[in-house]
Amino acid sequence: MKLLHLARVHLGAVAVLLALTLSACLLVAGLPRVTQAAFDAALREALLKAPAERVDLTTMMTTDSPGQDLTRAQSFDELEQDMRAVLPAPLDRLIAPAGTGTGHSGAKTYGTPISGTGGKQYLNLAWLSDQERRVTWVEGRAPGEPTTTTWNNQELTLFEAGMARESMSALGIKIGDTRVIGENNYAAVKVVGAFEAKDPADRYWSHNQDVINLQLNRPAGSLDEEVHATALISDQGLSKLSGRDRNLTYFWILPLRTQAATALDVPELLPAIKEFERRMKVADGMLPRQILRTGLPEMLGSFQARLATAQTVMYLVLGGLLLVALGVILLAVQLLADRMDTALGLMRARGGALRQLAGTGAGLVALAVVPAALAGYALSYLFPGPVLPLVHAGPLLVVVVAVAFAAARIAVAHRTPLNERRDDVATARPSAKRITLEVLVVGLALAGAYLLRTRGLTTDVRTEGQDPFLLLVPLALALAAGLITMRCYPYPLRLLVRLAARMRPAVPFLGLTRAARARSFSMLPVLILLPALGVSVFASVVSGGVGDTQRLASWQSVGAPATVTSRMELPAEAIERVRQVPGVTAVVPAQYASVQVGHTPERAELLAVDLRSWQGLLGGSPITLPTAGTAPSGIPAVVSPALAGRGTFEIGWNSRLKITETGVAPTLPGFFTEGKFIVVPFDVGQRPVVNTLIVGGTASAEALRAAVPDTIVRTQAAALADIQDDPLTGTVRTTLLVVTIALSAYALVAVIIALVIGAADRARALSFLRTLGLSDRQAQRLTVLEVMPMILVTALVGLALGLVLPAALGPGVDLSAYAGGLPVGDYELDLVTPTALAAGLTLVAVLGAYAHTAISRRRSLGAVLRVGDLS
Amino acid sequence: MNPTLSELEAQASKGKAAFGGDAHIVCDNLVRIYKTEGVEVVALQGLDLLVQKGELLAIVGASGSGKSTLLNVLSGLDVPTAGVAKVGGMDLLSMTAKDRLRYRREVVGFIWQQTARNLLPYLSARENVELPMKLAGKARRGRATELLELLGVGYCADRTTPEMSGGEQQRVAIAVALANGPQLVLADEPTGELDSDTSEQVFDALRKANRELGVTVVVVTHDPLVSEQVDRTVGIRDGRTSSETLRREDAEGQIIAEEYAVLDRVGRLQLPRDFMNALEMERRVRLELESDHIGVWPAREEPSGEQ
Repeated sequence: MKLLHLARVHLGAVAVLLALTLSACLLVAGLPRVTQAAFDAALREALLKAPAERVDLTTMMTTDSPGQDLTRAQSFDELEQDMRAVLPAPLDRLIAPAGTGTGHSGAKTYGTPISGTGGKQYLNLAWLSDQERRVTWVEGRAPGEPTTTTWNNQELTLFEAGMARESMSALGIKIGDTRVIGENNYAAVKVVGAFEAKDPADRYWSHNQDVINLQLNRPAGSLDEEVHATALISDQGLSKLSGRDRNLTYFWILPLRTQAATALDVPELLPAIKEFERRMKVADGMLPRQILRTGLPEMLGSFQARLATAQTVMYLVLGGLLLVALGVILLAVQLLADRMDTALGLMRARGGALRQLAGTGAGLVALAVVPAALAGYALSYLFPGPVLPLVHAGPLLVVVVAVAFAAARIAVAHRTPLNERRDDVATARPSAKRITLEVLVVGLALAGAYLLRTRGLTTDVRTEGQDPFLLLVPLALALAAGLITMRCYPYPLRLLVRLAARMRPAVPFLGLTRAARARSFSMLPVLILLPALGVSVFASVVSGGVGDTQRLASWQSVGAPATVTSRMELPAEAIERVRQVPGVTAVVPAQYASVQVGHTPERAELLAVDLRSWQGLLGGSPITLPTAGTAPSGIPAVVSPALAGRGTFEIGWNSRLKITETGVAPTLPGFFTEGKFIVVPFDVGQRPVVNTLIVGGTASAEALRAAVPDTIVRTQAAALADIQDDPLTGTVRTTLLVVTIALSAYALVAVIIALVIGAADRARALSFLRTLGLSDRQAQRLTVLEVMPMILVTALVGLALGLVLPAALGPGVDLSAYAGGLPVGDYELDLVTPTALAAGLTLVAVLGAYAHTAISRRRSLGAVLRVGDLS
Repeated sequence: MNPTLSELEAQASKGKAAFGGDAHIVCDNLVRIYKTEGVEVVALQGLDLLVQKGELLAIVGASGSGKSTLLNVLSGLDVPTAGVAKVGGMDLLSMTAKDRLRYRREVVGFIWQQTARNLLPYLSARENVELPMKLAGKARRGRATELLELLGVGYCADRTTPEMSGGEQQRVAIAVALANGPQLVLADEPTGELDSDTSEQVFDALRKANRELGVTVVVVTHDPLVSEQVDRTVGIRDGRTSSETLRREDAEGQIIAEEYAVLDRVGRLQLPRDFMNALEMERRVRLELESDHIGVWPAREEPSGEQ
């Protein structure tokens, strides 16, 4: 039969299938790309934020004999080539070519004292392979060839060198000055020029901070600081630099192309770095003497830990989405197959082979599904992000499952010569095979949930990778809940039916009886609705939980809508200026200081503030402050646990004060999170020295900064934005939102399709009852009563499942990385969103039932009953 | 009284049934039980039926008597629970799926009562006729037009179902049933939804198929117009063949219809209910063998004679 012809006849069902497949493929192929793109962005940002010194690979080699010295620039290049030759493939891809980015090599001496300074001043010599490109000579000239000079009757090598101005002034060196350096093998350095970095902000200088900046060092047990400066020497100077004379290190920077790094590379990068080290050890020549220095593994490790959590959540919700989308698509396939049933039955009766029938059905489904899947797949390329295997596999899976389901369903339906199905008898007893399968699913789900709670979902993900079994547990739980609901819900309903049978009105009895017989609602809608509601409620609860915790974290880090802290005292006019900033409702002055505890060297942080007025600013915030309390003698004080239990003790501040412990607080939001701290009333000192303002209202950080320059202004809004702006956090929340919306939409579509599928059957029953005197109004009530119990039960179980899942999985999924470091626990039962979801679903179902009876009323009774004779 | 020709014929066919026979349709002690969740419906309770090749036979019976079940069994859409059902030598009980498909493609064609169920509404009459041929993989150009012309609906070839009258639809349905040149055509109340004039046309079409194409036709009907025009009418009661009416022309060309009760192979006989009611026969009767007949007497006359 011509497929296009068939498609035209069943245009409605085909269009539904098309739209569902398109949206499902778009989501399934697009969302992973978007999330992966966000993971990549997060990785790049993390790599870019970190200093190049930590991110790039640095190999170092020391030399202690003239034979090992590298005296020519070329030798550096040759060794670098050897090094790059042994780079493992994953690392090689990410390392920028020699001479680009921050890549360079060089030689530096370290710990080279200036003779006669008693070990207080050090002047190191450095040669950088690309120093001509990196610095400009602002005074004097670039260093030239080394010569010799005589000092204390010794002939010394005289290096010409250039220095940064800051270093020159710190060491008191002017251009033309000569210094003798070294401990026993002396050399002379003549400073001939001063340079400046062409671009001091370039990540390149992260490797050579010592060249452009002065280094101050205070050795342990010493009172004075050592000054370390570095001077640049010329290529010719390099030839005279030997490891025999002084501490000399050669180094090579293999720069990481941060822009090329992707989150997918992370797992193979860690072993690749180890492999690189190993290969250098076993190589010929000088490579075995190289030491690899990089902070990359550590950085990647911590990134991977955060990534694993994000991935886990993503997999959970995407898996749920895929499952539900597939379910709804199967429901639409079922609708189409039902519509085709008459035609296929006729074909079968007229001599159609099973193969021909299944081919026709599958062909029609493929006609709708394949173009839609291709379109969805193509549209997903509009999203940014790498192409993951899932991007190809998702749409393919959808197509294969839909077509296979159509073929299988039709084959099964038309396999036996004549269906033994009789509509007037309740559903057949489930087969032993089916019950075994269901028990297996429930058992697996429960065992999985137990394992999940004991082992944790994100444990060992860094080393072991995601555990697919545990990832499936939430879905299995949803399925198990669906199965249990399906099996158990008729029993209470039958009780209701018994009650309804005793009542006089017939409609409740008829409606509930039809519901209890559950012919109109098959397994599939329940198995879709339940995970859809469950996962969407789960997503909204988790998203809400993360959001609340983010808010809490921002409040805890600032402690008030805004705080202003200054190193110096804030005069009264400054406080007044802050008060005048638009949006400021109140200003609470405070004094922050470090005080002596008793007469010992023990010190503690102190904040003198009126806790009550401060608390007054915190209306609507999730934090509470400790209460001050009153003390019979001494100054009432709230202390940290480290200072607790001391009763009354003295502190040394501006004057000696005697304080009495009236309360213990583990933290003080915005100020203290740990250590020893004391909170006392504001006016305990003789003269308050205000250096901290706690500001209420909605004033912006800029306005506050303008009012009191040279202070540190922190606002809760900015802290929150900081936490939320993180690419990973943003993606997690956006994905959760998209999935919630998509799942709710799918749930509604499932209800509607289920109503449409049962429409013919219901119309027949209603028409029959109408011949017995059922009014339109009663028919509507009957339909609603028939559809309601299943939807209501499913909605309630789905809601409960969604609310229980976060609590059940909570210990397994650590979301603290997305909530400013606070653990996301105590999911508050914010029932508004989930209840709205469930209520919306129920409402649409009821409306659908009403609309359905309204439409079927228009049909003439005779036509419906005649059509009803067909089965 | 000498046996009539038809009696002899009936005797002859009875004898053959015992051997399985070479009749076109052989049903012997056919049983069909529907069973769903403990509820059993016995639709056929040991039905016997023999139909010769080229015969035009009507089956009548009350609603629920099992005649549609019989037709479903014969058309290969349903499988009997027990007994023998053979059509053209093919055993309907032991057929594999492949045989069943071949049977449906080559041996049997059928027509349902509901005109809408016979035809796909979005295909034209010609396409509908071509559908079974295409399914069987042996489409012959012109065959559809030939059949439609033969049945007098050639002008409907390019019309779809909604554009045809009920009678036209049923005649196209007959063409569909004949598409693959079957040996047997089964029709389930083909005129049930039609007025008498249209019924006449449809029945004529069936008779034409029977006479001109030599196809065996079995019609289930309530329509006296149909049942009175066939040579043999088989009555079904409670899942059994209960009576047969044979028609023949006498010397003057008058149609004579004679109704017979059916005697099965083991000698069971169903008495018409009104006969039993008239003589208040209940539970048992007394039989007396005479030289040329068997007398059936109510049992109550000699209540003590049994002791």
